[in-house]
Amino acid sequence: MSTSTYKRFEDPESGYLPDKMTVYQECLQAFNASPIRAKKCRLLLSRLLRLLYDGQTFPKTEATNLFFSVSKLFHNGDPSLRQLAYLAIKELCTISDDVLMITASIMKDIQGGEPVFKPNAVRTLARVLDGSTIHAAERAMRNCIVDSNQTVCSAALVSTYHLLPVAHDVVRRWANEAQEAISANKKLVRSPYAIHEAFGSSPRLPQSTFFHQYHALGLIYQLKKQDRMAMLKLIQQLTSRQPLQSPFAVLQLVRYVAALLQADTNLSQQFWPLFASWLNHKSEMVELEAAKVVLTGSFKFNPDQQLKAISSLQELLSVPRTVTRFAAVRLLSRVALADPEKVRACNSDLESLVNDPCRAISTYAITTLLKTGNAQSVDRLVKTIAGFMDDISDEFKVVVVEAVRTLALKFPEKHSTLLSFLGDALRDEGGFSFKNSVIEAIFDIIKFVPVAREASLELLCEFIEDCEYTELAVRVLHLLGEYGPKTPKPSLYVRHIYNRVVLENSIVRSSAVIALSKFALVNDRKLTASIRILLKRCLQDADDEVRDRAALSLRLLEAADDGPTAAAKARGLLEPESRFSLAALEQQLCRYVRSKDKSSFTTPFDITSVATHTEEEVLAAEYKAKTTVEEDQIVSSPTPETTKATKSLPEPADLAARADLLEQQYAQELSAVPEFEEYGPLLHSSEVVELTEVETEFVVSAVKHIFKEHLVVQYNVQNTLKDIQLENVTVVAQLDTDAYSEDLAIPAETLKPDSSVSIYVSFSRPHDLALATLANTLSYVTKDVEEATGEPAEDDEGFPDEYQIEDLSIVPGDFVSPCFTTSFTNVFDDLDNEEVSVYNLGSPETVKIQEVVTKLTQSMSMMALEGSDNVEGSASHTLKLFGKSVNGDRVAAVVKLVSSSKGVMMRIQVRSSDAELSQLLANQW
Amino acid sequence: MTINTSLYSVEAVAILDNEGRRLFAKYYKAPHEDAVEDIVLNEKKQLQFEKDLFAKTFKQGNDIILFDNHAVVYREFPDCVLYVIGSLNENEVLLYNVLQGLSGALEIVLKNSVDKGSIQESYDLVVLTVDETVDDGIVLETDSTAIASRVTNAPTEDVANIKIDLSERGLLNAFNFARKNISDRLQQGF
Repeated sequence: MSTSTYKRFEDPESGYLPDKMTVYQECLQAFNASPIRAKKCRLLLSRLLRLLYDGQTFPKTEATNLFFSVSKLFHNGDPSLRQLAYLAIKELCTISDDVLMITASIMKDIQGGEPVFKPNAVRTLARVLDGSTIHAAERAMRNCIVDSNQTVCSAALVSTYHLLPVAHDVVRRWANEAQEAISANKKLVRSPYAIHEAFGSSPRLPQSTFFHQYHALGLIYQLKKQDRMAMLKLIQQLTSRQPLQSPFAVLQLVRYVAALLQADTNLSQQFWPLFASWLNHKSEMVELEAAKVVLTGSFKFNPDQQLKAISSLQELLSVPRTVTRFAAVRLLSRVALADPEKVRACNSDLESLVNDPCRAISTYAITTLLKTGNAQSVDRLVKTIAGFMDDISDEFKVVVVEAVRTLALKFPEKHSTLLSFLGDALRDEGGFSFKNSVIEAIFDIIKFVPVAREASLELLCEFIEDCEYTELAVRVLHLLGEYGPKTPKPSLYVRHIYNRVVLENSIVRSSAVIALSKFALVNDRKLTASIRILLKRCLQDADDEVRDRAALSLRLLEAADDGPTAAAKARGLLEPESRFSLAALEQQLCRYVRSKDKSSFTTPFDITSVATHTEEEVLAAEYKAKTTVEEDQIVSSPTPETTKATKSLPEPADLAARADLLEQQYAQELSAVPEFEEYGPLLHSSEVVELTEVETEFVVSAVKHIFKEHLVVQYNVQNTLKDIQLENVTVVAQLDTDAYSEDLAIPAETLKPDSSVSIYVSFSRPHDLALATLANTLSYVTKDVEEATGEPAEDDEGFPDEYQIEDLSIVPGDFVSPCFTTSFTNVFDDLDNEEVSVYNLGSPETVKIQEVVTKLTQSMSMMALEGSDNVEGSASHTLKLFGKSVNGDRVAAVVKLVSSSKGVMMRIQVRSSDAELSQLLANQW
Repeated sequence: MTINTSLYSVEAVAILDNEGRRLFAKYYKAPHEDAVEDIVLNEKKQLQFEKDLFAKTFKQGNDIILFDNHAVVYREFPDCVLYVIGSLNENEVLLYNVLQGLSGALEIVLKNSVDKGSIQESYDLVVLTVDETVDDGIVLETDSTAIASRVTNAPTEDVANIKIDLSERGLLNAFNFARKNISDRLQQGF
């Protein structure tokens, strides 16, 4: 029997695995034989391992049998057999019973065995032991850590590291040995059993590779990470007196310092000299890790220091190792997402990477360039990409198209170049995901770049003439129906759409019918009449869905003739002006369906309770989400279908939905309070404002909610103490103006330790927009919590106390919500009530224009349009903002920032349909 | 930014042949902790992952790919590919150093002919080399000479003649035992 399997295994071309049962039988036989034949057993072990590493498993009893027969091999002293036996034991440990039995044999090897398999014995021991049996091995492990053989020491340290989760307390006792191991001199030992003829290019074994430092440092960190002072001391020691030799250990140290910084960002400057040296380390991986920490961590490194990190990455861009170039360009592209300005210094290097043989690198280079590029370089870049599109796979094409899409939103004026690029891409060969991304990009241009609308629609018309994907054709038809009628010449598109009705499958036909019907609503009698004729023809269609839709559309159009109200109704059905917030709709439906109370099903689901958005609001949310997307794009996924599911970061739609849900959540929380029932719908909620430092005993933050006639301030109070309970918690808010008057305050009865509550204070709001400042004091009764019960003692009356928290200002931004418009200039010109104010913000060294822009956008609570929230030059910038007030007034602002030697000058020019609003917004700084 | 301070940096090592079939695959998990990722325990997922990974990498001539939420560095040999797989946020150069060390050591122990045939033939050397490079996800060593110097060669022949030696000693022992026993009894006056 064995000859056949033997042959099969020996034949390298067959690729067959040895037969599982044969190997099992042979192993049991040979391992239990006496005397043990070392060569044969090693061969059998290697076959057994071949099975195990192929993913074959044995049932528990068989595995246990194997395990015990392998342990019989300890009777033979051959070191090469023993080494492989240890590996087999390590693999079998997890699937067999009673593994503890072998401890004694292993311990014997650790104490007196041949050095060549001693490390294997130590590492195997870590698999056999657990938290309760580790004591037996304590002495042996300690001895191994102090062993002068580097491999033995490393093995012991790694094994100890593996044991940490189950035996932290025991392991802690040998921290001293580990600490000494970092600086101790360990040597590699050559064994006579492991001499290979082909010792490669470096035939001599190095004296030591210092890898034990990496393992020792890793272990010590796990033992000491809670103790900040000890860590600081350790870092000090390892960077000055006894510098680490192993680059792996240095890499690990970089991470530990980063972890320390994360806990306390104020240490950044103190540690900068270390980072400076790491950025010039001889090992690329250390440089890379240090740059990663300096650039992507939210630590307080100043721009100069970050620039140093960028320049060390820049050097890595030109090294011959592909992986290093890849890592550097990947990191740069990540930095460029957040701050394109910084990466601009590398542009010339990035451009030379565009032709890199590794496509992933060139794609990263291109997308990074697209992010850092300014308006002038766009044309050139797009030309470079166009030449490069043919030789990359679909996956990378999608990434490039995504980048072009963001570019189109950032530089709307470059639409013609970008559109012609997208047009070419659309005509090229390509799979669904690629075509889909191109279509998405064109959709975005149509939505957000009105000048390019007609050209884009034309592209789409051309595309559907010859489109093999039904899904895409349907989406394009829907969009044509939506935007076609708004163009000056709607009749142009009718022909393209009707062609679909004649030529395509039923799904496309039915959506073409709906699209057609929308054109009938244009105020053009001739067109309406022709459309009716076309729709009537559709009534003869073979498919019922198409017939149904045509009939419905015709019916609605006929109804529109009956008079203006009927017309408006028909229009509302054919072209709804507002849409349901899908996230909210889903949430409410779920709640309705899951309701425990049966009586709630007696009333039907009330769809009017679901929030709706007007088209403008939807666009605003989409625009915001799309311009702030942040993700690592070049992650290949196994199949195109799962691309979306495996992306590590949220989709833009998710971001919008989340903001939406937050608003919904506020609305629901507030409507749950009976006192606010009569206040009407919630008009606007502000961002969360912190009123205390984050580390204080009671952390308070506030949200301002605006209702039609009221202002409700929601104070979120968090009790971080473990042994104090607060009762009757309220906030005493004192106003500095008479415009508001306090109606009521809803205190929280109890605030348990380590929990949080919301307190509401409500004010009557004057109809005009009044600013005010609230001086806040938290007042409460404290009670000590008894440890046993977790409740305060019953007779504890507590004592009243007060806690001063920061003031809360009601700013103009509270009355404004961000809004999107496609034609900012038109809107701005239409509005009157202009207010202008000019400020000097101080010297350019301390005031960064980008920061001012971000702060302004936030504090005015308006949407930055036309990509104007990205500051390009450092000398001057123009910010365009648009929003809508709670009273429905539109407001637009142009902010000009100029930096000169006299300081940063800011000129705010606000126009609004409400004079008071523009005045408030212009003068708020 | 989450900082990974753990020493567990390699998620898997795999060697696939020129058709994407497994020659060696080991997905690592900390021995005394539960697996973080599903793929470690689910063989079906592993095979699917390897198949897709192979399709994306074979004969592409690159060294690295970000694939299905993993950073993968690889090296192609004439008819097989060696992969070292880490998490998406792992330092790519670290993984590459592991790959370099491992493939260098394989070249040494397999006498510069790393291919499907010799891997199957000297499977014991291959598995020992991997085991001396990565121990359940912790990098042990990346110097290829140092790794190779830890891998023992198979015994050249089965030493069977020691046995004669043993039996002879056994005879001597028996003789000594008998002599001692007899002299004891004689002294007792029997």
